Amino acid sequence: MNILLISEYILLGALAIFAIATIRITTRKKIAMALVGLSGLSIAIATALVLVQHMYNLGFCRDIAIALIFLGPVGTIAFARVLRG
Amino acid sequence: MTDVITLIQSAILIIAAFLLLLAAYGILRYGDNIENIIYARIHILGVADTALIIALLALNEPLLAAAYFILAPFAAHAIANGYFYGEEEQ
Repeated sequence: MNILLISEYILLGALAIFAIATIRITTRKKIAMALVGLSGLSIAIATALVLVQHMYNLGFCRDIAIALIFLGPVGTIAFARVLRG
Repeated sequence: MTDVITLIQSAILIIAAFLLLLAAYGILRYGDNIENIIYARIHILGVADTALIIALLALNEPLLAAAYFILAPFAAHAIANGYFYGEEEQ
């Protein structure tokens, strides 16, 4: 097992912990807090998908990551615009 | 013998993982009753975003890293703006 694979597993673990933390703040009362949590969650999942694509050669994971990375922030901006009123 | 590039890649991924854990701790550390906590959390999210952009670069994904590097500040500003005008006055 080479060092690159070990570091990829370490990053995957850190992404899982970060995703749980963002889900926890998503459930707070304020809408803006949910936006903060979800935008963190979408980038964490996208990076995890890129990692999985690298480790297991699953081509479709990268496509989903591209969609998440482009559409996540766009959706956040749209919702924040509605929140602003 | 593992070549230098792979060693650098691994080091960058481990540094990104460390920054991510720091951001996860920072997001949960503060309670909701602190004033302006949302802006602090948006800033901490920025730290995590930067770590993940670096990780994406280390994983040979410059397109994704560049796209998110451009989009993330807009999203963070939109959240802060929406909260300031929409929710904070209530």
